[in-house]
Formats: sequence, C-alpha cells, structure tokens
Amino acid sequence: MSDAERRTQRSYWRSLERLYESPALADLAPEFAEDTGEPPDGVTRRSILQLMGASLALAGLAGCRRPVEYIVPYVNPPEEVVPGIPRHYATTYPAGLHAYGVVVESHEERPTKLEGNAAHPFSRGAASGWMQASTLNLYDPDRSRRIMQRKGETVNPVSYDAFIDSWKKRATELAANGGEGLAVLLEPVASPTLTRLLKALRDRFPRARVVAWEPLHEAAALAASQSLFGRSALPLYHLDQARTVLALDCDLFLSEPEAVIYGRDWAAARNPRNKTMARLYAAESTLSLTGANADHRIVMRGAEIPLFAAAVASELSALGITVPGAGSAPKALSTELRKRAAMVARDLAAAGRHGLVAAGRMQSAAVHELALAINAALGAIGTTLTLHAPQDAELPTASGLHDLAAAMQSGAVTDLIMLGGNPVYSAPVDLDFAGALSKVQHTVHLSSHLDETSELVEWHLPETHYLEAWGDARAIDGTASVIQPLIAPLYDGHSAIELVGVLATDQEQKSYEAVRQTWKDLLPAGDFETGWRQVLHDGVLADSAVPSIAATSAASAAEAFGEASKAPVFERLELTFHPSRSVFDGRFANNPWLQEMPDPVTKITWRNVALMAPATAKKLGVKSGDVVVLRQEGRKLKLAAWALPGQAEDSIALEVGYGRTRAGKVGNGRGANAYDLRTSTAPAFVSAAALERVGRWELVPQTQQHGEMAGRDLVREADLDEFRKDPKFAQHPDEDIKPSPLYPQEHSYESGHQWAMTVDLNACTGCNACVIACQSENNIPVVGPEQVSKNREMQWLRVDRYFTGSEAAPSVVFQPVPCMQCENAPCEEVCPVGATVHDREGLNVMVYNRCIGTRYCSNNCPYKVRHFNFFNYTKDTPQVVRLAMNPDVTVRSRGVMEKCTYCIQRIREAEISSHKTDRPIPDGEVKTACQQTCPADAIRFGDQLDPKAAVLETKKDPRNYILLAELETKPRTSYLAGLRNHNPAWEDEDA
Amino acid sequence: MAQIFPKWLNKLPLVLGVGVPAFLILATAFVWYYFSPKYTDAGYSPVQPVPFSHKLHAGDMQISCYYCHAQVEVSKVATVPPTRVCMNCHRVVGADKPTLDPLRASAKNDRPMRWVQVDALPGFAYFDHSAHIKAGVGCSTCHGDVASMERIRQVEPLSMHWCLDCHRNPVMALRPYDQITNTTWTPPADQAKVGAKLMAERHIAPPVDCSGCHR
Repeated sequence: MSDAERRTQRSYWRSLERLYESPALADLAPEFAEDTGEPPDGVTRRSILQLMGASLALAGLAGCRRPVEYIVPYVNPPEEVVPGIPRHYATTYPAGLHAYGVVVESHEERPTKLEGNAAHPFSRGAASGWMQASTLNLYDPDRSRRIMQRKGETVNPVSYDAFIDSWKKRATELAANGGEGLAVLLEPVASPTLTRLLKALRDRFPRARVVAWEPLHEAAALAASQSLFGRSALPLYHLDQARTVLALDCDLFLSEPEAVIYGRDWAAARNPRNKTMARLYAAESTLSLTGANADHRIVMRGAEIPLFAAAVASELSALGITVPGAGSAPKALSTELRKRAAMVARDLAAAGRHGLVAAGRMQSAAVHELALAINAALGAIGTTLTLHAPQDAELPTASGLHDLAAAMQSGAVTDLIMLGGNPVYSAPVDLDFAGALSKVQHTVHLSSHLDETSELVEWHLPETHYLEAWGDARAIDGTASVIQPLIAPLYDGHSAIELVGVLATDQEQKSYEAVRQTWKDLLPAGDFETGWRQVLHDGVLADSAVPSIAATSAASAAEAFGEASKAPVFERLELTFHPSRSVFDGRFANNPWLQEMPDPVTKITWRNVALMAPATAKKLGVKSGDVVVLRQEGRKLKLAAWALPGQAEDSIALEVGYGRTRAGKVGNGRGANAYDLRTSTAPAFVSAAALERVGRWELVPQTQQHGEMAGRDLVREADLDEFRKDPKFAQHPDEDIKPSPLYPQEHSYESGHQWAMTVDLNACTGCNACVIACQSENNIPVVGPEQVSKNREMQWLRVDRYFTGSEAAPSVVFQPVPCMQCENAPCEEVCPVGATVHDREGLNVMVYNRCIGTRYCSNNCPYKVRHFNFFNYTKDTPQVVRLAMNPDVTVRSRGVMEKCTYCIQRIREAEISSHKTDRPIPDGEVKTACQQTCPADAIRFGDQLDPKAAVLETKKDPRNYILLAELETKPRTSYLAGLRNHNPAWEDEDA
Repeated sequence: MAQIFPKWLNKLPLVLGVGVPAFLILATAFVWYYFSPKYTDAGYSPVQPVPFSHKLHAGDMQISCYYCHAQVEVSKVATVPPTRVCMNCHRVVGADKPTLDPLRASAKNDRPMRWVQVDALPGFAYFDHSAHIKAGVGCSTCHGDVASMERIRQVEPLSMHWCLDCHRNPVMALRPYDQITNTTWTPPADQAKVGAKLMAERHIAPPVDCSGCHR
C-alpha cells in the first residue's frame, strides 16, 4: 500500500458507536437536546451550580430601579497596591518531593490566576492543569474553618491555644520516655524548613516514629536507585536528549511528577526540523496519555509489564549491551510480546546513550530497578536521565505505613499526628487504617477539609492552602524556592510548618519567622535581606541545584530480574490501579474545574468507571454504562463499566481518587473508591477478580461525541517518511478548493494588529492544561454531570480525541479546538441582533449584552465552539468562590452565548499599555491563557502582520492547514499536522 | 326602537384619527426621552455618607483632582481616595465637625467608607481612565464641571451611544495636557484644527469595535 493510499484510507473515529455507526448515534448528541426548556432537576444539580462562578451585582438587577452600588476604598492602602492594576508574585507550587515555580496574579490582593515561572527549571513558564486548578482550591467553600476537638461523641470548635495547652501536657508525658508512642504521619515532602523542624522534633522525641506516605508514592523508584547505586534517588528524564524511549506504564506527559517539562522537552525531541526525530514506545495495559502519544503502543496486561521489562533487558544483553544480572527472556511472556521486546531492544541499542526506559509510578521496585539497569547499560545515565537524591526531604518507604498501622493496632502508638493526607480514605484496604486509628488514644489531623480521616480523630486542625502561608520547597534537583503566600489565611488555618513548630517547641510559631530562620543558612553569605528579597522576587534561589548523583558502577540487577520474570498468577480477570487524570489520588476531588474536565483519553467527566477492552466487555456481556460489581478476596466495588478501545483484554483499569464521602459538595459520591480493592501487597494490579452485572444502568457523563464535525478531514497526520517525501502533505486535500465569494468583506485586515494562532498537533500531548487555564482566565462556569451529558459543558477550549485503526490497538490523535476566529464567520451571518460581529483586528467578537439567545450562531458554527448559558450558573455562587473570578472578564448570565475570545482582555491590556507608553506591542507580549500554560509550547499566537512574529513562522510551515477549508471561512486558527515516527521494522498487523 | 349607539359616537372616527396618532407620537417621545439614560441616569446625585463638597475642595480651594484621585493616570479606575488621604487634612481641619463623624469612625475602626457610586458603567463595559487621560480627554468631558458641584452629580448619560459619538470623532474632546483637570475648559474656536493636530501627534485611534470595551 502506498503512503498516499494509506493516508486516504486512514479514518478517524471518536467512539465505538461512531466506528460501527450504530443507530444509537442518531440520538447520541444533538447539539441542543429536545428538553431545552426543562428546568434543572433535583437538589444535587442545584447545589453544584451554587459552587461555581460569580455574578456581579447586575445579575440580580430587579425591576427598573437604578441599583445602588458602592465604592469601598481602603482605609490605609497597602503599600504599592494600585486598585485596578493586578500584581504578580513569584511563589512555589509544592507537590511532595517536587516543586514548581509559579507566578500568581493578584487583583487587589486576591490571587486569581496562576502561571508557570519562567525562571524556575521545572515549570519554565508552563503549568499543568492541576497547578492551574489549585487556585480554586483556595476558595473552596467546603474547606474546614475551625479547629475541632472530639470528646466522646461530641465535637466542638476550640481555639488554637486550647490545642497548644493540651499538647504541652501530652508533650511532657511523651518526653519523659523519649517520645515512645508518638508517631507523625505526613506526606512525602521536600522542604528545608519543615525538615529542620522535624529534626528538632526528633531531637526532642528521639523514639518517635516519623513516616512519610501517600497513596501514589515514589518509594519504588527510590528503592531501585538504592539497590543499584546505593543512594535513594529519583530519576529525572531529559527527553530532549532522547532518541528512543520506552515507557513502561509510565505516563510521562501527565501523571509523572515532572510532566510539565517533559512535555516541552519531548516537543523539542520531536521537532521535524531536527535531523532525527525521537521515537516513543509505550508498554501499558490501559490507554494512558503517553500511550496515546506513542509511535508504537504495546498493549499488555498489567501483570505482563514486569515480564516485558525483563525481556527487554535480556534481549539487550543478547545484543551485546549487557544488563548486569539479566538472564534469558521469561518464558511466561507470550511469543508475540517477546518479539516486540526484541524490536524495542534493537531500537534502544541503536540509540545507545540516547535511549531511555522509564518506569511508571505504579510499577514495582523490580521494574524500576530493571529500567534503571537498562539505562545504565545503555550509558544513558547522564544523557537522557540523571538521578537526584531529594534534598531536605522526608522520603516514603514501601513498608512505612504498613509498619505504622501494625504498631497502631498493637497499641504501641499512643499519639498520632497526621500532617495532611487522608489515610482513612486512601490507605491500602488490608491495613484497616480506620480500625488502627481507633486504637490510638490521641490523634491529630491537619487537613484542608473535614475529611474521612478528620472524622475519626480527636483534634482536627484546618490546614492553610499554599497561597496562604509561608513555606519553602526543594525541586527534584535540589533547587530551593520559597512558598510566598498571597493572601492571609481565609479561615483559622495553620500550616504544617506551624504545627510541627508547636510540636517541637511547645511555642506558637509564625511560619514567616520559621522560614526566614531556615533561609539564613540557605542563602549565600552577604546581606540577608537583599538575598531574601531577591529570592522572593525571582521565585527561585539561584545556583541551589545539587549535582545529580554519580551513577557509574551499577550493582547486579539479578534479584530484580528474577522478581520481574516470575510467572504471574492470572485467573480470570485482572484489575489495575491508576492515578486519576482529573482528581489525581483524590486530593482534587472537590475541585469542580477538574471534575468537569473531560478525561483526555476517555472523555468521561465527574466520575471513574471500570475500563475494559471492547472485546472483554462483549465476552462478559457488559455494555458501557452497565453497573457491575467487582469482587476481590471478599471485597467488592460497584461502579459503571466502560469499553475503552486500546485497553488490554481481560484487564480492568480503575482510577483511584473517586468515591469520596467527605470531600465536600462537589466531590462526594462521584464514582467509586478504587482504594477499597487496593492492598499493600498488590498496589498496581491484582488478579482473580470476579465481575458480575447488577442489571442496572448508570449515566456516565462524557463528551466524546460532543462538538463533532461529522467525520470530515479534520486531523491530519503522516509518518515521518511520508512527511520527508512530501512536506506539504497536509495541504494537498485543500488545493482544489475554488474560492466562492459568498461572504461580504467588511474589513480589509491589512493594517493594525491581525491576531492569529497556530496549534502544533505534533507537539500537543492532549494534557488538558489549556482547558483549565482557559476556565480560570475566562470565568467559565461549571455545569454539573447532568448538564454535561446534555452537551451543555461550557469549556471554551475542548481537546478532541480521535482514534484511528482497530478498536483493540488504536492510535490516538488529540486536537485542541478553540474558536477558529473565522474571517468569514458563519455565526455572524445568522445572528438576528448583531451580537456576534467582527472587529477590525480579525476577531470574531461576542457581545454578551446584545445576545438574546437564539442559538442560531451555534447551529451555524461548523466547528461547534460556541457554548450557551442554559441557566444562570453563577447566580447562587458563594461569596468566597467569587473571589476566584477574573475581574477583567465579564461574568455571563443566563440566555447568553459565549465562546473563546483569544483572551481579548489580555489583548486590550497590551494595546492600552502600548498606547500609554508610545511603543509598539512586541511579539510575545500578548499570550493567550492556553498558550501561556501549554507545557508542550504547542500554541503560537501573535500579530500575523508583524514580520517578526513567531506565529508567522508557523503559519508558513508546510504542515500548516486549516479546518474545513472548503467552507471558505478563513479561520485565523490553524493547525500544524501531526507526525508519527513509526519503526519501519514494526510489522503492525493493524496498520 | 331605541338607538343602540349614542349620537356623540359619530365623532369617534375623528377622535380616533387624531387621538391615536397623537398618543403614539407622545408615547414615543415619552419613551424616547424618559427611558433614555439622558433622563434615567444623568442628574443622578445620591446622598453620600459624608456631605463631601467638590465645590469646596476642587473649586474654592483649588485642590488638584490628582491629590485625591491619585492613580487615575496609571490605573483603569479613578481610585476614590482611601480614608487616610482625607485624614491627612481632617485630622486638623474640621476636627470637630459632626458631618465628618463617619470619616473619623472609618479611620479609627479601620472600616472602609462606603461611598455611593455615581458615574457607573455596566459590568460588561470596561473603561480605562489612564488611557483617556493619555489621549488628552479631560475630567469634565465625562464628569462635567465637578468643581462647581456641592454634591457630586452625574452629568452625561454615559450611554454607549454617547461614548461612541466621541470615539467616532474625538477631535472636540482633546485638550492640551495642562488643561486635563480644568473643569471649566471649553473648546476654543479653532478646536477642530487643534484637536485634529493633537489626534495626529498622540496617535489617537479610538476603538469603535465592540471588542474595544466589551470583553
């Protein structure tokens, strides 16, 4: 088959229904459902609506009376604050053993929007969806507000002083015998100040236990490095150096800790202007974002991943790249997979030190060790990865929580202090953490919400958000930065630093003082105030990175090889556990932006499901949406099933983080708690699960068919070889289009600024950071699961996901779709009131105050990027959530259409500032929110009349094409076609 | 047989013929004026918590607008002064005046004043003071002769039509920079020429697209 033939035969589909063109599709997703006028149903949905958005006073404008509005100036204005001018502060987003520098925008001292800090090596100006959404956590109305003390059955609010007094009494008793019986459970953390205070705590109570644990910890990677190189260290990948990458159930572009910079580095390694393009193999059981971006995805059950890793090690040894300790390929692996392993090994061998094997966070220490041993054998350590010993860190261990729970059960622990975390919800189910907790006399839980764990403790202390209290953090390479708060604590909250300060000294500590004291030692010699101010300004301490550990002589990985090669027990079905791409391990469960964000791969919102291969579903007689019960060693879990193309057969993937009961109004009762089946012995996958149908069907709100553009030629991609032969492959389909002067030309678009955008599909990984950034910047409301299932989600930017190939082993393409800003906009032609018109900068603008809600524009929009406010989603928003709103963007009311504006508020600010300072707008000054946050730097935006504009360069790229060119809409947004770098030796049966 | 209709009904066509059009014209005129911001908004002069007199401060005592509205040149908002600015003088001046009680209470209790907003735009319209000052539009163009007002009053309708009139033809509103705060400024006879010159010098191209003000 020729390349051209293959291309024309390539067909893209979004869902299994579309693949089989089932009759059910007809009523799948009409743009506007029949029951448009039907009122919102039930209390649940209402309560969700109350949680989002804000309405200005005009939303409640009743009658014709002029509303009286007040101007409330400061009494004593804070220094340097000018009302109306936002300020930006550098701070740090802490994430366990990792940290990302961020710059937070603050309007009149109220943080609203977060961006990556370009000066920080692990955000480089970009931010993930989780980071973007963390500002909303600050304003979560369900946050715990007061210190609570439980006495028997009653729970009462008490003062911080009362807590300190009570602790003093306990501390004297505990100190008498060296702290025997005291245990501190915290989440793994890298913070100089917290570590210093914990050291003081350990000095005071030398026999106290300090355990670091979180449900998705990185103990396996630390243990692997310890075993091979004698140092606990985490790998940091340098994907820009990579030529061949094998990801072993490793979601490099989303749930791996440094996913933000991996996106950018990978885009650099995949730039088609380079001589070579990196190739990515993904071995996994469920379709991850990384698997979706892989050139070759090798589908296997979770139990087969260790075997596959062993096989690659053994094949590499056979090729002369000796992996110490690797024996012959495990027999338990199928011949098919062994063949694949051999091919991957050959490619890795050819890449040499530019090869990389990355093991995912759910994988065992043995797999991590094998991956590391292979990398060492390839000579890749120092090139495609470096190993970093976490600095000032509390490290997790595999057995830490297990031992603690045992000690609690035996009564050896009398006082348990939990700093954050939610172990009652997320601890391995076999530990019975709630039961163990009840055996401890004195328990303290510091947490942002009165959650599942807080319910059962004696003392609950509200924890501050990271934007509320001083702190500090170390990034993976040791780069130190300060967590600078932007707002005083909204409630009676305290940070872990403050609490540990009390535990260690009995004295109330101010986190500001504590952090400054630590930094007196951290800052280089010289004036402290100058250095401190510089750190606060830059958001990072210069030259504070610690060299990676020298990993030259690796020990034998024989033990790990033996462990990984063991034939797995496999009965009927297998369950695998994965972090949620929305709520992670459950910590974001009460964040409505993330709950409503369609999962990048499954497109499901607001819940988790049991993901299974379409073939498995057929075999089990299950349809998508059927409620099933999974049974595993007497435990059970009830949730909806979902057929996902590309899932390994007989393997069911479960996302953790859902099924919360005490998360708050948003997160409670969404999906099912997969931790209920996860044990300490089988944290990644478990065999022998039974599945039965309940005979009931549940609504799974998902968007995979929403905004569909009816099977036209929208995503364009080619093999690297095709592209080299024919660089303009993406433009050929549009060459025969004859212009038809259907549209009147209102503006010439030849002067002033002419804004335009390109989206590079070759760089985009589909991570959804842009969707959340847009939501945060543009005050986009959340509508709730029922409305989502009616095609009423409001996100202005959606990321379309297309499958191509077979349902068993599809290849996946992502395409972010904002408003195309057509020069000839079909929406404008049908608006009866001129509420959507063109301005002379080429923008298709939406005038909310003119809109009467006919929705004709949306009907006529070929790209389906317009969204209608069916209800006043922001009417009953709590005051505290309104603080999260961007004051530069209108909050829309009921009955109004809205859509992407190219962040018109940012354009206007730049134009006004240019006018005030008499200078032109330099290219790059106006960044749209999606562009600014994009980890892969896939979005370019600028003035296409500016000859120096970066967007002009991408517009001239041979891969540049526009959507639905045949409609003559002349969109300002265009795409750069994607490329795949297939291994020519790969005999893909499904191609 | 008695007549069903009284005799005066014969005049009905005439009454209707004249009355209905007259009513329609009157009704239209009524709505035209009384429903427009010229009537509903202009002239709005609510009672303020402190009877602050612009006439006294800006008129008689010639205190510059910028003294209180200090950041109007850099910010989109005109910045109503914080209590501290008032107290700069009123710690001494009028220290026993009962009308200033709310002000002193504000300073003492650290509770902000709540002034009633007079010149207000709807939330979906974004106006930037600093951009207009940079262009050379004076205070009184929109706010009227504030220095003569005992109690602050909305003078102009502040409707979209009114904004656009000026945006389409800004020549008559542009002043030399030293006249910005002169609330009694009137365009000189040759303003059309002067304004056009200022417009060219200052590269003024006011936006007239929807996106200029609506975001």
